[in-house]
Amino acid sequence: MPDAVLQARSPLHGLARSGHHGRAGPAGLTIVERTDIAFASVIARRGQRDALASAVRASFGLALPDGPRRVGKDGVAFAGIGPGQWIASGENAGDLAASLRERIGAFAAVADQSDSRLVLHLSGARVRDALVKGVPIDLHPRAFKTGDVASTLVAHVGVQIDMLDDAPVFQLTAPRSMAGSFWSWLTASAAEFGYDVATK
Amino acid sequence: MSAPFRLASGGLIDRGKPLSFSFDGKTYNGFAGDTLASALIANGVKLVSRSFKYHRPRGILTAGSEEPNALVELRSGARREPNTRATVTELYDGLVAASQNRWPSLALDVSGINDLLSPFLAAGFYYKTFMWPAKFWEALYEPLIRRAAGLGRVAGAEDPDTYEKAFAHCDVLVIGAGPAGLMAALAAGRAGARVILADEDFRLGGRLLAERHEIDGRPGAAWAAGIEAELSAMPEVRIMHRTTVLGVYDHGQYSAVERVNDHVATPPIHEPRQRSWKIVAKRAVLAAGALERPIAFGNNDRPGVMLAGAARAYINRYAATPGKRLAVFTNNDDGWRTAADARTAGIEVVAVVDSRAAKSELSKLGFSTMSNSRVSHVDGKQGVRAIDVVGANGRATRIECDALAVSGGWNPAVHLTCHLGGKPVWNDEIAAFVPGTRPPAMYAAGATNGAFTLSRCLTGGIAAGAMAAGDCGFDFTPITQPRADDEPAAVTPLWHVKESRAKAFVDFQNDVTAKDIALAHQEGFGSVEHLKRYTTLGMATDQGKTANVTGLAILAEASGRAIPQVGTTTYRPPYVPVSFGAMAGHHRGRDFRPIRLPPSHAWATEQGAVFMETGAWLRAQYYPRAGETDWLQSVNREVAATRASVGVCDVSTFGKVAFEGPDAAAFLDRVCANTLSTLPVGKARYALMLREDGFVQDDGTVARLGPEYFVMTSTTANAPRMMQHLEFCHQVLWPALDVGMVSVSEQWAQFAVAGPRSRDVLCKLIDADIANAAFPYLGAREVSFGGVSARLFRLSFSGELAYELAVPARYGDAVIRAIMAAGAEFAITPYGIEALGVMRTEKGHVAGQEMNGQLTARDLGLGRMMSTRKDYIGRVMAQRPALLDPERPAFVGLRPVERSARLRAGAHFIPVGAAATIENDEGYMTSVAFSPTFGHWIGLGVLKRGPERIGQRVRAYDPVRNGDVEVEVCSPHFFDPEGARLHA
Repeated sequence: MPDAVLQARSPLHGLARSGHHGRAGPAGLTIVERTDIAFASVIARRGQRDALASAVRASFGLALPDGPRRVGKDGVAFAGIGPGQWIASGENAGDLAASLRERIGAFAAVADQSDSRLVLHLSGARVRDALVKGVPIDLHPRAFKTGDVASTLVAHVGVQIDMLDDAPVFQLTAPRSMAGSFWSWLTASAAEFGYDVATK
Repeated sequence: MSAPFRLASGGLIDRGKPLSFSFDGKTYNGFAGDTLASALIANGVKLVSRSFKYHRPRGILTAGSEEPNALVELRSGARREPNTRATVTELYDGLVAASQNRWPSLALDVSGINDLLSPFLAAGFYYKTFMWPAKFWEALYEPLIRRAAGLGRVAGAEDPDTYEKAFAHCDVLVIGAGPAGLMAALAAGRAGARVILADEDFRLGGRLLAERHEIDGRPGAAWAAGIEAELSAMPEVRIMHRTTVLGVYDHGQYSAVERVNDHVATPPIHEPRQRSWKIVAKRAVLAAGALERPIAFGNNDRPGVMLAGAARAYINRYAATPGKRLAVFTNNDDGWRTAADARTAGIEVVAVVDSRAAKSELSKLGFSTMSNSRVSHVDGKQGVRAIDVVGANGRATRIECDALAVSGGWNPAVHLTCHLGGKPVWNDEIAAFVPGTRPPAMYAAGATNGAFTLSRCLTGGIAAGAMAAGDCGFDFTPITQPRADDEPAAVTPLWHVKESRAKAFVDFQNDVTAKDIALAHQEGFGSVEHLKRYTTLGMATDQGKTANVTGLAILAEASGRAIPQVGTTTYRPPYVPVSFGAMAGHHRGRDFRPIRLPPSHAWATEQGAVFMETGAWLRAQYYPRAGETDWLQSVNREVAATRASVGVCDVSTFGKVAFEGPDAAAFLDRVCANTLSTLPVGKARYALMLREDGFVQDDGTVARLGPEYFVMTSTTANAPRMMQHLEFCHQVLWPALDVGMVSVSEQWAQFAVAGPRSRDVLCKLIDADIANAAFPYLGAREVSFGGVSARLFRLSFSGELAYELAVPARYGDAVIRAIMAAGAEFAITPYGIEALGVMRTEKGHVAGQEMNGQLTARDLGLGRMMSTRKDYIGRVMAQRPALLDPERPAFVGLRPVERSARLRAGAHFIPVGAAATIENDEGYMTSVAFSPTFGHWIGLGVLKRGPERIGQRVRAYDPVRNGDVEVEVCSPHFFDPEGARLHA
């Protein structure tokens, strides 16, 4: 009978080293790999969009967004990624998918996606300057504001970008299997400004 | 030490920062602010290159990116870059450059004999001279021509520098930072718009840097610096130096290349050499200026003959004079300014030759003036010794000089207005083309728009910048127009001096002369596009920027048409040459495209696996062990060990889609050929998907984990396409079905554990009863694995008792290690996709080779899976008579009659004793493998009436690899046809 506790590995295992990289001096940006955020895809049942919104409001106190926006409260967030489709996330949320299924499963299909992606939080004075080397959409404050969400292609990798706050902090998620290629692009792009890597 | 042609004072060079550089091995000095061209001129180096075809000595013609002559190899070793224009190469300390297209040296070039052979090398010579015998073209003529006619040599080693791509967005993109561009940027910037101002120079100002104009009472360069300072202080204005906008594309997209570190020997660590930009702008203002054009006359290509505006740029901006005794030949007022500025700089001006009959208002400046006259000849070979001037009376006068400045008028740089199909229009007043239909979101201002005087440039710039910002919703704050003069700018066209005896060049880079154009016309190439292809006018790195208009004007004369009737050739991006490095950016080598790694990759690497690409995935192909000498040996061992005991393979790469909802079963029934709605919870089933046209699209498995919850797998290679297909079916075909679907491919790591001892291994790992009775073949259930919730499927691709275990991907690495540890006592063997392929071939399962888009389910022996009780995609079209024809090749197994013979996939089946002709073709081999289980090669394929011919023999004929093997037709299920092992 099994008893071993399985060791989890982050998508960047063996690739990301904590500390300062690239140009010496103050870091232009800080990259934090987040492995403590659970994700789940949420797809509204046919004709249940409004019922789902009510359930989300009742359970999480959040107004489910229409369009590419995110709303969040107490560590739980919903990001619109398509008509009737959201990515829910929760910090230290345990089995988020199970919790969602319990609370809103009558109105939506829910699938656990916690292991499907590399999750990075990027901040720092030069974060936009590094991101423009692959992000084709406009991240200028006039065009992309806190709470905005975009699904786009970065260095040929499908990436979801959420702007979390005005600092700014950007959350980038990329497919787990492409973490290595994506990391190669990101670090090459950030090296010019100097960057710190941390994990959380 | 001191450079003989450097003026004692003036210029925008920094005399406090001397720089040393070498050209063709000789060391020279220059200053910060020089270009390689200006430094060579200051040092009196006139001869810098040999021409493309005739190997004629050439000097420096221009002072900008349009340069046709002064191409050099810049830097050395792996950083050597051929065909670099000396005129836009910023000088840096230690710069190394060499001339190209010469042997043994620039001054003594043996191919210079081509000039004497030129009667045989006229336009289109290679279409005529080297036609016979035809087979000599590739073997002899082409290599010879390529060696003789050449540009520089590539480095031949990997570029050690890095390159980047980047994206920028703005309201207003201003292209060019001359007076018009600066004012446009200022107007838009003050209005509050997001502005990008891109200029290819390292210093803003455009022609202001090359002229002695004053604006608001200040020297032009100082005024420009003041505007730059104001723009730099605006937070929403971005100034991009050393950035050339290359092309215009749909929806306000522009490409540009930024030469981030071309002005240093080696880019600083972490910085790219160049960066290519995609700029998305709501509006653009094109203020790219104008390009001066030469006049065609005898030996007009001699070193020391320079465009008049360029001569002014070298004198005024770089304090470098092209000569000590300068003559000017012009057909317009602007040329006179070169004479005036040269005299101001203390250079002797020996004559101003003006082709116009009327005296220019500038003739009062007091130069030795010859009006109504033309330069017909330049004397001197590697420099100018004298010029012959033909006057109104037809008599020639010889004038001694060492440099000649020529102005044939200016062509607005209309290129970017034409990239989306716009055609420029002819303007008689300036005798040049101006923008016609512009791209929808582009304004043109300044010289580009045909406004050739400084005052008009400033006015046009303000207006364009204000309109562009206004279009983006920004209120315009009026700008006081700076004070400047409208200088004289009249022109009377003169394209070609008919009295020329020697070659009169139109296109310097391609050695196209006025005579070549006349010849092309005479031979029937009257269209300007044909002229270009026949003579090569306007081709190569400069794309004829100094040549095209003159060329078509001469064609117009020759054909008796007006210039607008002749028209221009098509303008295409890029505006200037761009390196492949800049276009590739980060994406070269291993970063060419993203690589997908399965969860066991790190572990497999530790095992010494050999990997191969399947789609974007890198998968373990096989796991060689010490002593194994080839891949087949390793694969045979992996197959044998799996069949004897147990093996493990990472199958995480399969596509995985979750379906949830009351209509999930109905949806799957419509998508798949077989019925899935009858699948009980806790069971899995093989699933077959057809295309609309009835052919097989993909296969996989579907497992039902709940009454309304299914998980489907699809093949690795087809996974993205299947997801698209499923989304299309749901969103477009049947939006009314209440089902949610989402890819969970990345969420799950999945391992196939196969072989008679597979259950023994898994029993050690999971908390569940998986005995045969409790968990029979095709079972599917959730299990707990070390406290992690996992999924277990009893599926087999290998034909063995087998399971697929799925765990959340973060545990994939831990789980493969746990499986290996648990299996150690059974000598568990990891196997790669080669062994996987061998085992499925032995079992007769179809794979990608069979699902090739040309075979139906019936062809593949899967006809019984096609439900007759429901409708599904592909059902109707699969019933087309031709697809039901019993003569169609159908799925069989094949083995060589001579058991040691090797089989080849792709071989065609021919009846024994029949000729290998198309008529006798009876099908083909789709897959082959060496079967260690049977000790010989086996194959799968489709054969006409194959299933009825078990036991017969056919030829497997493979003309590509000289294969001709007699094979015996058999069941495709070589291994365990009863499936006893699956159910064990």
